[in-house]
Amino acid sequence: MKRGRLLKSVLWLTAACIMLPAIVLLIWCFAARWPWPGILPESLSLRTVKELIFGSAKLPELLLSSISLSFAVAAISTTIGIATARATELYEFRGKGLIRFFSLLPLLVPGTVLAIGAQIMLLKVGLGDSIAGIILIHTVASVPYCITIMTDVTAALGDKFEEQAATLGAGPFRAFFEVTLPNLMPGIMSSFSMGFIISYSQYFTTLIIGGGRINTISLVLVPYIQGGDRSLASVYAMAFTLSALGVFAILELLIYNVNKGGKGADA
Amino acid sequence: MRNSKLTPVILLLPLMAVTLTVIIACVNVLLQSLGYVPAFGLTKITLGYYREVFKRPEFLSALWVSLRIAFVSALLAAALGTLLCAALVKRRAGSGMLYTVRFPILVPHTVVALFIMTLLGQTGIVARAAYGLGLMADCSQFPQLLFTPDYGGAIAGYLWKEIPFVAYYTLALMASVSDTLGEAAENLGASPLRRFFSVTLPMSLPAVSKAALIIFIYAFGGYELPALLGSTLPKALPVQAYITYCSPDLLQRPLAMAMFGVILMLSVLMAALYSLGIRRLIKRLGGEA
Repeated sequence: MKRGRLLKSVLWLTAACIMLPAIVLLIWCFAARWPWPGILPESLSLRTVKELIFGSAKLPELLLSSISLSFAVAAISTTIGIATARATELYEFRGKGLIRFFSLLPLLVPGTVLAIGAQIMLLKVGLGDSIAGIILIHTVASVPYCITIMTDVTAALGDKFEEQAATLGAGPFRAFFEVTLPNLMPGIMSSFSMGFIISYSQYFTTLIIGGGRINTISLVLVPYIQGGDRSLASVYAMAFTLSALGVFAILELLIYNVNKGGKGADA
Repeated sequence: MRNSKLTPVILLLPLMAVTLTVIIACVNVLLQSLGYVPAFGLTKITLGYYREVFKRPEFLSALWVSLRIAFVSALLAAALGTLLCAALVKRRAGSGMLYTVRFPILVPHTVVALFIMTLLGQTGIVARAAYGLGLMADCSQFPQLLFTPDYGGAIAGYLWKEIPFVAYYTLALMASVSDTLGEAAENLGASPLRRFFSVTLPMSLPAVSKAALIIFIYAFGGYELPALLGSTLPKALPVQAYITYCSPDLLQRPLAMAMFGVILMLSVLMAALYSLGIRRLIKRLGGEA
């Protein structure tokens, strides 16, 4: 099978291209001297790691505040996703095409334009340079993805369970919170992690809306990339990427456990 | 389906707030680009700022640079992402490979810029490997990709991130098409290549082309990669617009807004062309298949 081997090499080449820069960056974190044309550094040191932990940037606090901000965004976007999906998938009304268009609208407006235009509005209502303003704009950026994910799972789940719960005497709120919500959990988790990643990665919107007064890890990293110290830039980039992946992995694990729990209950 | 009139309205209120924010943001940009900035004492509506902007060589070259980045990134990512997706479907890739392909989607653009620097710079790891293999005698012989007017570095960054995005975005659709209709085509005697090009690919085009549109708009209006990996001159359009926006001369403000207005209008135009044209094309391809 020549074709099989071709496709296999496509996959391995892709995996290599994806992982190579991450590995090189990891080595840069510990490189004390890495002159041309060495494939590996001449000497290693823990200077950058020490700078990261004990340095002036106060990384732990920065990570904590950035992650909290993005958690807030993910929670709000997911709630909007649940509500919108519920409206379009479970209720009969006219103009669903328009709602679908509104759900995807933030994808059609580049983030740069959105940030600049929203800043004018936020300054008028006194929310310029505020965390609330940043949460609003990050939410706008992540909402299309959260709505898409929640619409898929809501459509798949349908109305049957809630109707059964109602027949058995549960009120509408109880039926939603005790029957529908647990069944939507895997979708809610993936919507949450998508919202988190999009908010955590934002640079330009935070720069504009925060007016330079609100710092996230994304903002702090950029001057290091532009500066000359490749090792220091690498260690900040690594902290940024690994913290995102860490949160993502925890959420993935939760999805896995929820899925397993669901299957166990069925059996 | 339920018939309540009030409940869906309440459920859709948060989305309306989001939509309103987007619309107000766009209107603000467009109004200021038309010269309506009451805070600066400008209240006369005029197209003059657009005329002025289109006379500026730095704007025209920035527009060209950004269109090029967006078209090249979107088309190459769509083509290579489809190939990657086909390989994932055909080889029934395991979860390890799927997580690897998801990794670039999770990496922020700022970090991607650093990745590309350490990889493709003239003293980057690829150049070092080429030197080690005896392919070149000196680092200056390695093609300069970063900080050049071609924006090769920014395009490479978008490709690194968006090829896996296209593959991941298309995966569910292509896997189901391949398992059902593709299987049927093969049972009816189609060769694997014919099966892919006449059945699986056309049926997967809705997802591929939507992903390409998202990438086009992102790469056309994105700031991080061209700002960190691009040349001093010409700049990419969002970078040029932001620099003009930051100018201490307040009269530059409407000019900056006209540049952002051009970014906005071309993005919306691309989306409109997509929903009119590409859909029809897909239908035709699907119909003939």
